[in-house]
Amino acid sequence: MRKIAIACLLVGPIWSEEGPDFSTEILPILSNKCFACHGPDAKKDEVRLDSYEGATEDLGGYSAIDSEKPENGELLIRIHDEEDPMPPEDAEKQLTKAERVLLSRWIKSGGKYAEHWAFVKPGIVEGGSIDRLVEAKLNGKGFAPEADRHTLARRVAMVLTGLPPEKGQLEAYVESGDFEELVDQLLGSERFGEHQARYWLDAVRYGDTHGLHLDNKRGIYPYRDWVVKAFNENLPFDDFITWQLAGDLLENPTVAQRVATGYVRMNVSTAEGGAIPAEFQAKNNFDRTENFGTIFLGMTLNCARCHTHKYDPIVHEEYYQLMAFFNSTSESPMDGNKYEYKPVMKAPANAAAWKQWDAYVKKREALKARGEGDFAELVKKLDEEKANLEKEFTTTLVAEELKKKRETKVLRRGEYNEPMGEPVSRGVFEVLNPFPKDAPKNRLGLAQWTTSRENPLVARVLVNRFWQSVFGAGLVRSPEDFGLQGRQPTHPKLLDWLAVDFQESGWDYKGLMKMMVMSKTFRQDSVRRADFQDPENLLLGRGPSYRLDAEVIRDLGLWAGGLLDPTMGGEGVKPFQPGGMWAALSHPGSNTKKYVADKDQRVFRRSLYVYWKRTSPHPMMTLFDAPSREVSCVRRTSGNTPLQSLALFNEPQRVAMAQGVASRLLSEKKNDAERVNQLFQWIACRDASEHERMVCLELLKQAKDAKHDEKSAWSQLAGTVLASDTTILLY
Amino acid sequence: MNEFEIFQENGLSQTRRQLFGRAALGLGTASLAQLMGPSLQAATTSEGMHHKATAKRVIYLFMSGGPSQHDMWDYKPKMQGMFGKDLPEYVRDGQRITGMTSRQKTLPVCPSKYKFTRQENNQDGVWVSELLPHTAKVVKDLCVVHTTFTEAINHDPAITYIQTGSQIPGRPSMGSWLSYGLGNVNENLPGYVVMHARSSYAEQSLFGRLWGSGFMPSEHQGVLLRSQGDPVLYLGNPEGVSRSDRRNQLDALSALNYEQHQRLGDPEILSRIKQHEMAYRMQTSVPELMDLSGESDETFKLYGEEARQAGTFSACCLNARRLIERGVRNVQIFHRGWDAHGNLPREHESQCKDIDQACAALIIDLKRKGMLEDTLVVWGGEFGRTAYCQGGLKKENYGRDHHPRCFTTWMAGGGVKPGITYGKTDDFGYNIADADGNPLKPDKEKYTPGTMHIHDLNATILHLLGIDHKKLTYRYQGRDFRLTDIHGHVLKELLA
Repeated sequence: MRKIAIACLLVGPIWSEEGPDFSTEILPILSNKCFACHGPDAKKDEVRLDSYEGATEDLGGYSAIDSEKPENGELLIRIHDEEDPMPPEDAEKQLTKAERVLLSRWIKSGGKYAEHWAFVKPGIVEGGSIDRLVEAKLNGKGFAPEADRHTLARRVAMVLTGLPPEKGQLEAYVESGDFEELVDQLLGSERFGEHQARYWLDAVRYGDTHGLHLDNKRGIYPYRDWVVKAFNENLPFDDFITWQLAGDLLENPTVAQRVATGYVRMNVSTAEGGAIPAEFQAKNNFDRTENFGTIFLGMTLNCARCHTHKYDPIVHEEYYQLMAFFNSTSESPMDGNKYEYKPVMKAPANAAAWKQWDAYVKKREALKARGEGDFAELVKKLDEEKANLEKEFTTTLVAEELKKKRETKVLRRGEYNEPMGEPVSRGVFEVLNPFPKDAPKNRLGLAQWTTSRENPLVARVLVNRFWQSVFGAGLVRSPEDFGLQGRQPTHPKLLDWLAVDFQESGWDYKGLMKMMVMSKTFRQDSVRRADFQDPENLLLGRGPSYRLDAEVIRDLGLWAGGLLDPTMGGEGVKPFQPGGMWAALSHPGSNTKKYVADKDQRVFRRSLYVYWKRTSPHPMMTLFDAPSREVSCVRRTSGNTPLQSLALFNEPQRVAMAQGVASRLLSEKKNDAERVNQLFQWIACRDASEHERMVCLELLKQAKDAKHDEKSAWSQLAGTVLASDTTILLY
Repeated sequence: MNEFEIFQENGLSQTRRQLFGRAALGLGTASLAQLMGPSLQAATTSEGMHHKATAKRVIYLFMSGGPSQHDMWDYKPKMQGMFGKDLPEYVRDGQRITGMTSRQKTLPVCPSKYKFTRQENNQDGVWVSELLPHTAKVVKDLCVVHTTFTEAINHDPAITYIQTGSQIPGRPSMGSWLSYGLGNVNENLPGYVVMHARSSYAEQSLFGRLWGSGFMPSEHQGVLLRSQGDPVLYLGNPEGVSRSDRRNQLDALSALNYEQHQRLGDPEILSRIKQHEMAYRMQTSVPELMDLSGESDETFKLYGEEARQAGTFSACCLNARRLIERGVRNVQIFHRGWDAHGNLPREHESQCKDIDQACAALIIDLKRKGMLEDTLVVWGGEFGRTAYCQGGLKKENYGRDHHPRCFTTWMAGGGVKPGITYGKTDDFGYNIADADGNPLKPDKEKYTPGTMHIHDLNATILHLLGIDHKKLTYRYQGRDFRLTDIHGHVLKELLA
């Protein structure tokens, strides 16, 4: 118990002079312990505790909170009443002693309410900066010292690009200490977009198959390639959002803007024989609405699908008003098991094709800009170029709006066949910012609302996830839930300052990433500190450390083994996978029942491009906690299992990586000590320590004693080091 | 996520009792136990998480596709005289049916072609069809539930529903809930093992989500025990790497990782060293598990000779028994091919042949080893099949569509009342009925005696394993999720 108490004390402004802080200390208790019966979805005659008006309402001579004589309030009495307690004895959630004390202190200090912090627009934080706002919470202990240059170079490169720095970059930085130059190089690398896109693809549940029943192939990878491109080109994030929600509704949308609407089509779909279209029209829309809620609002909306939300102030009807924005796209509710699940368009089929297309568009625009004149020859040439490029285009699913809106009705208990009352109009939650007055009531207007400076949630939710991708955990540790049941931000001012700054910067993603990695906070040593206990690093008094994601572990091994194929984009690739994994669970009619591994270099592409069958992703992904992408994932878990050990040592591609490393070491370096150093240079950006060298040379000797030849012995050693925590952790 | 972080994650909202439960989970909880002081170690796993468990382990035989209760378990003699007549409208009573038969001109009553015999049990007997001659002999150990029901009428939603508690993907599977609740007391084998049994009619997909861990950490996902290649993924060392080579590799790895731990102080590194060691042990314990050479001829006589062929349902059942003997507490076998829209007789005869003897053998085997009393065996699918025929109806050949309103499931051992039946259906095996045969309209929202919604089934399974389905929660997206969502009722009537 002791350790926990310390952690809590370190974290919180638990007590203050005037009584507990309502939003951070009281509301979470009320929400978690009382709102199930006394919250937004309370029965008519129940006492309401979700507003001051409700709590002070005269109940016939008494009230839950008595603002004049606090000690007379029913709430205070009942939480201490042994005869007739609240919560009732049979309630699943009981108050703890500490919570009773907090509630009592709050009631006695007047029982004032305030809005939940996340629903209030972030305020301006004067003189904000990451380091100032982090340091202010370190209780005078100050930052940990800066990590050494080798460690820092590895850390920043892994965080920004998902790969270690190139040799030249590492050496230059170690020599000069010019961190900013290194950061700029990494931000300029195309590896950056590939790595950053991955988080987005988890959130939007990108997959190469439909996801339900037959789980057939789906034409959608141009969307994935566009996401990579958008990160690399640093497309302003408000545009990034708008194009995905409503690119088709922009005036004369570009190819990229339409491809981006693949987001709207990302829900899993089915064509199961007996399925009822109306049922899936509803389910597809639930899926979209709830994904929108999770990734932009950080709110779990699925409760409100069936009834008014128990905790957050979202009324049943509002869920359907939001859903109405998504309910008028033109695709059939059933996918027909088709790759070309309409509406579709043709789009560039890989990164190189996108570049050619962009070059063409530029020429076309330049021509237009030249105004009058006879350019018939040029036009003809450009038309030919266009036609040639388009010949290589491939299918991708997009969103299109029906001419006539579909009606949306509230569904009782979320049952598709139990509509209630009149159709609802499109709208947003009353508790958040109002819908912009001049905005159209369609997905484009929804995008304007989402990216509005008045929206209290979106920028916070996004910067929190970006922070998580850099530091391993968000400032709000429940990135999927900013509602009343979510966790409090560890650094509320920092979160607000980052959110406002992100908006003011013109939604400059690269700029934000640069600011984060340049901070002292990021550059601290990640060693646990003796001078204070903070196992979760809630205070950010040390640098980040966490296990790398499945994709990064694989990419790092391919890179070290000299195998990584840098080709970008295109259809998902299929590295080796044990036989029968798809067949064991696929419908005989499915076109993904047979896994045929690719034979060429493609098997060594970055993991981002590995084919994603949503009902059975590649085992090297799922074993290391990648989600299935059937639903949104904004925070991966980090499991620790014996199967991971088996995979690290025995999976055929891992073996190839180890052999690749061995070959490189044997050909590039003359003696064993140099080779061991080189190995650690690749995986840790530094020479091996004395002890590490000793351990490695001993293993090498054992292998040779067991009659393994030079190459096999080195492969065993390389496989071991690639499996070690020096390789698979960020630190 | 380590125990401390789990505590941090849920700590503020968790009651002490929940923590107590978590602390009792067995391996991997030492850190929390130490943290919380010795008093928390008092509870042991065999005592159950929330109450005394009557089942220490569970074997779930899942029949994917929807076995026909009409041709196996739910005897409806009155249908014989109705052959080919349209199902009376009052029976269907406007209930929705799938897109496959909703456009059919008639819904002709389709009596089973199979002969049913009344078998003695511990009540007034149970009728079993000739498709299950072996299972018929063990009905004194079975609790046969005729009134399982669900709302889902198509495979993907229905199977996702019964295995995860939600029709929409994203939730942890029942097996991972059990893993989360029961922990793993085994140092050599994973706690939750899944097998896919071979079938000649393996239609209808399975999905990783059926044994996946959803939003829980991946350590709770089912480990596939495969019949092709390595029985556990990547179990075998690469060519040329011997067991002693691997020992040397792991020793070196530990030395490197200890150094990294000294550098960073991250306790997760120590925990990973343990997992590497368990992997090393699995490299011998799994082949030992799969090696059936020590099994007697008598055993193969019991399970059938096909138990010698890896991947058959018989072999999976034998493996299941071997797994639980070795301390694995959570085993699930998926057998596909029950989706008989047409040619039901041909398909179901083959399907029943796959499973019948092995199901009975498993019960007998567990019983003679004294394990049935604390091992729960569950048999069933995601829904049943219709009383009316899909497609052309002949006396000897017919098909049946999906039917969610009632279907048969059985349980045995682990504290379930043996030799009983539970629940009645109407004369058409279409609706759940009361004792007088009047249709009931049960609803998941409110428990109706004599019925078993799939949430009730899951609640009851958890109960037998010592878990209160209302208390086993996992917080995600601000909500304390349960396997049974906000439903589920423990069927006390079935408890011994």
